[in-house]
Amino acid sequence: MRLYVNESSKADGKRVVLDDMLLTTDLPTTAGSKMLENYVSLFEADIISKLRNAGYSVCGKANIGEFAIDLLGETSWFGACVREDGTLTNASAEILADDSIDAVICLDVNGAPRRAAALANRVFIKPTYGTVSRYGTIPVACSGETVSVMAASTAKCREALSAIVGHDDKDGTSLSEAQCALLKSDAERKAVKKVALASSLTASADEETKAKINAFRASLEAQGITVTEIDDQLLGAANTAWNVLMAAELCNNVSRYEGVKFGYRSPNYTNIDELYTNSRTEAFGDLLKTTILFGSDVLSTDNYMKMYDKGLRVRRVISEAFAGIFKEYDAVLMPACSKCSYSEADVKANKYIAYEENVYTAPASITGLPAVVVGGVQLVGAPFSDNSLLDAAEIYEKEHK
Amino acid sequence: MSKYETVIGLEVHVELATESKIFCSCSAKFGAEQNDHVCPACCGMPGMLPVTNKRVVDLGVTAGLMLNCDINRVTTFDKKSYYYPDLPCSYQTTQWFAPVCVNGTVTIETSKGKKDIRIKQIHMEEDAGKLVHDDWTDTSLVDFNRTSVPLIEIVSQPDLSSAEEVVAYLERLRSLLRFAKVSDCRMEQGSMRCDVNLSVRPEGSDILGVRTEMKNMNSLSAIERAIEYETARHIDAIERGTEVLVQETRRWDDIKGKSYAMRNKETAGDYRYFPDPNVMPIVIDDEWFAKITSTIPDLPEVKKQKYIENLGLSEYDADQLVQSRAFCDCFEAAYAECGMAKDVANWVISDCANMLNKKQMTADMLTIDGKALGQLIKLVADGKVSRANAKKILAVMFNENIDPAAYAEANGLIVSNDTGKIKDVIRGVLDADPKSVADYKNGKEKALMALFGKCMRELKGNCDPQLLRSYLLEMINQ
Amino acid sequence: MDREALRRLEKLNQLQLNDEQKEDVLAFFADQYDRIDKLSAIDTEQVERMVHVMPIFTVVRDDVAVQPFTRDQLQKDAPETMDGYWQVPRLVE
Repeated sequence: MRLYVNESSKADGKRVVLDDMLLTTDLPTTAGSKMLENYVSLFEADIISKLRNAGYSVCGKANIGEFAIDLLGETSWFGACVREDGTLTNASAEILADDSIDAVICLDVNGAPRRAAALANRVFIKPTYGTVSRYGTIPVACSGETVSVMAASTAKCREALSAIVGHDDKDGTSLSEAQCALLKSDAERKAVKKVALASSLTASADEETKAKINAFRASLEAQGITVTEIDDQLLGAANTAWNVLMAAELCNNVSRYEGVKFGYRSPNYTNIDELYTNSRTEAFGDLLKTTILFGSDVLSTDNYMKMYDKGLRVRRVISEAFAGIFKEYDAVLMPACSKCSYSEADVKANKYIAYEENVYTAPASITGLPAVVVGGVQLVGAPFSDNSLLDAAEIYEKEHK
Repeated sequence: MSKYETVIGLEVHVELATESKIFCSCSAKFGAEQNDHVCPACCGMPGMLPVTNKRVVDLGVTAGLMLNCDINRVTTFDKKSYYYPDLPCSYQTTQWFAPVCVNGTVTIETSKGKKDIRIKQIHMEEDAGKLVHDDWTDTSLVDFNRTSVPLIEIVSQPDLSSAEEVVAYLERLRSLLRFAKVSDCRMEQGSMRCDVNLSVRPEGSDILGVRTEMKNMNSLSAIERAIEYETARHIDAIERGTEVLVQETRRWDDIKGKSYAMRNKETAGDYRYFPDPNVMPIVIDDEWFAKITSTIPDLPEVKKQKYIENLGLSEYDADQLVQSRAFCDCFEAAYAECGMAKDVANWVISDCANMLNKKQMTADMLTIDGKALGQLIKLVADGKVSRANAKKILAVMFNENIDPAAYAEANGLIVSNDTGKIKDVIRGVLDADPKSVADYKNGKEKALMALFGKCMRELKGNCDPQLLRSYLLEMINQ
Repeated sequence: MDREALRRLEKLNQLQLNDEQKEDVLAFFADQYDRIDKLSAIDTEQVERMVHVMPIFTVVRDDVAVQPFTRDQLQKDAPETMDGYWQVPRLVE
C-alpha cells in the first residue's frame, strides 16, 4: 500500500486524504501508473481550496488502480493492497481505519471506491454529477466520473460532501450554485419513504451480499419505510453501455501520455513511432491496454453506430427508466458488488472482473445519479436526492452501531 | 490539355482574431517566443477542463453570415484522435456532427465572368502546434504556442476548376473575412491556410478522377503553381501512364516546384470522432444571434455603391476605401464628424495610406480615431490650421489619442489672423534679403517663392497661404 | 476481431502486445461483442443520444488572455527539451 504523507499537514483539526486521481502541487499524482510516477502537477484540484476553506487539511494521497478503472485498486503500478489471507482491499478504505482521518476524497471513475467502501463497511457517496468540480482531476471517463467521499460514518461523509460541493467556472459541466446548494447538509429535503429493490441485480449477488441487502431492508422497514421489489432488467443493460462509453473516453483521454511532454519516456527508440509505442507499452498495464484498444474499437468508423452511438442512446433509455422509477419511489436499493470479498486469485483468474462487477455500479455511473454505500449495500437516488440517501443510510447506521 | 477538366475543392483554415485561445485562456497572439503562450491544458497535461471562448462562436457565426450560410443554432464540439508531436493531447477538439455553419455560397469573378462557389460547411476547431527541425541534433522541436488557437475551417464543394478561380475564391474569402474582422487572413504568417483537393477527368465526364490533397502552400502564387503542377501530373499519369495515381496527401515544395507524397503523418488511421463530454452544446439564442447580426458590415461592393450614390465619392475613391474595413470605419466616423466626404476620403486614402506605407503597415492596421480625423479636417476647412500643420498633427494621431484642436492650440499650430504680426514678419524678411527682392523685381519668379517660404517658416505655417501671398505681393511692390 | 485487425488497432493506439496478451484481448473482445449484440434488444431508433447527463448549455467564457505559468515550469518534468522547445526524434514529412 503506497501512501504519500504530507508532513506539513496539521496534526489537529479535520484531516482528509485524496486518492491519487486528484492533482496536488506538493505531492505527486500518479493515477496509479508507471506513466506518471513522480508526476507533480503545477496546479491543484479545485476541491482542495474548498476543503481548506472548510477547515480540512490534506494529509496525504491514497494509492489507486491504474487510472482508477479496475476492481479495487489491484492494478496499481505501486502494488495492490492485499491482506495476509490473500483478500484484496483498497488504500482509501484502509486509511479510514485511522480515526484521525475524517474522509477520503476519491474520483469514482468505474466503481472501484464504491466497491471498496461496500467491502470494508465504509460510508460512501458519489454525489449528483456536476455538483462537485472535476477541475484538477485526472480525466478518464468524463461523462460519468464524479468526485466522491468515503468516510467511517454518515456524519463525516455528509460534512466532507458539504465542503466540496459548489459551482466552478473552470469546469464546463459544473452545475449552478443554486443546484449545488441542494447538496449542502442543511438543505431542505424529502424524506425517503418508499424504496425500490432491484430484484434481478440482488438475485445475481452471493448469499452473504443478499443477507446485507436484507439487513438494510429490515432497518428501513422498522422505521416504516416500505421496500418493494421491482423489475430491473433494463438496468442490467447499463453495464454494457457504460463499458463502451467508459473505454472510449479513456482511450481518448490517456492518448496524451506518449512520452513527449512529461511522464515516462522509454529509453528504447530511434524514431517518433518507437518513442510513442515503447513508452506506452512499457508504462501501461494490461487492463489499461485492453481498455484502450476496446475503446478505440468502439469508436472506429465501422463500429461507431452500433457500439458508441448505441451506448449513448441506451444511456438515455436507462436514465428515463430511472426517472420512471423515481416517480413512484424515493431510492433504489441494490448491491454494490456481487461478493463480500475478492482475492488476488480472483483477479488473476479474470483480470476483466471489473467489467462484470460494473453491473452494480454502472447504473449510477452512466446516468450521473447520486449513489450512497452503507452497510455493504448501495442506494441510488434521483438527481439532488443526495442528502435524502444519506438520511436513509443514517437509519441503518444507528441500528448497527 | 483542353480535353480534361480539373475539379477542385478547398479546405481553408482561418485563425480567428481573438485575444485568447479557444478552450484555455492563453494568449492567441502570433509571434511570441517558443512556448511562451502555453499552459498545462495546451501542452497536454491532465486536469484542466475546456471552457469555450465566446468570441470564437461570435466570429464563427459572423463568418457564416458573410458567406451566406445557414447557422446551426445548436452547435456541438467533438474530439478527433491521432498521434503527432504537434498535437499535445493526441486529440483535436473540432466540430464533426453539428458544425456552426452549413450551405453557403461565395460569388467570385474571373476573366470568364461571375460564378457561385458553394460552401459545404464551416466548423470551429483548435489549431495544432508547430514543429521546427534542427539539423545539428537531427531532432524535431515542438512549440505549442499555436496549439488551441481558434480556427474556422471553410470547406467548399468541388466547384472550382482552375488556379485562376481558386485565387479569386481565396481573395474573395480574405476580403470578406477581413471586412468582418473575423481574421487578419495573413498567409505568410499562417493565419490563412489552404488545402487543395484536386482531381482531373475527361471534359464532360461525370465520374471523378483520383483525388489528391495538397498542403503547405503559403502564398497565392504558390497555390497557383501547385495547382498547375498537380493538374499536369494527373494528366500525364492518365495519358502517358507515367505513374499510378493514388488517393493521398501531398506536400508542396515551392522551391523545387514539385509536390511529394507525405510520409504517413496523421493521414492513415481512423480519427474516431465522438462528442466531447466536457463541452456542453452551444445554443445561439435569438438575443445572441441578433447581437452578432448587428455587427455584420455591408459587403464591400454594397458600401462602395453607397459611397458613390449617397456621398458623391468618385468610383476610384470609393474603391480605395473599401479595400479595407479599417479605412471604411475611419472614413465613416470622420464623415459623421465633419460632413465633408470628398475631403475625408482624400485624407484617408492618401495621407493615412502614405503614413501606413512609411511604417510598413497594412491598411487593416489603421487605428486612427475617425472622429478626431473629422475634427482635424474641419479645423483645416475653417482655416484654423494649415494643411501642412494638419499633416503634422495627423502623424501624432497615429501614435496617440489626441484632441486635434487642443493639440494645435498647445503647440502653436493655430493659424494667426493677426494682420499686424503677418506684415511685421514680411517687413523683416524683405529687409533682411534685399537681393531676393531685387531678383524678383528683375523678373525672377523663383525669388518670390523663396521669400514666401521664409515668411511661412517664420510664421510656423500658421497663416493662410492666400493671405500671406497677397500681403507679400502688396508690400514687395510698394 | 482477428489478429490482423488487432495489429492495426495496436498500431493506431501506439501499443504493442505480446502473443499471450493478444490471445487474452481477443477473448475479451469476443465477450464484449456478445454483450453489445444483446443491446440490440433495446429499441433505440427514436431515442436521442445522451452525451451529457445534465441538461446545461452554452458554458462560455469572455475572451481574456492570461498566462499563469512560465515555460520553465511547464517543462520541469519534460523528458527532453532544447532552447525552450520539447524535443523529439526528427520527423520526416
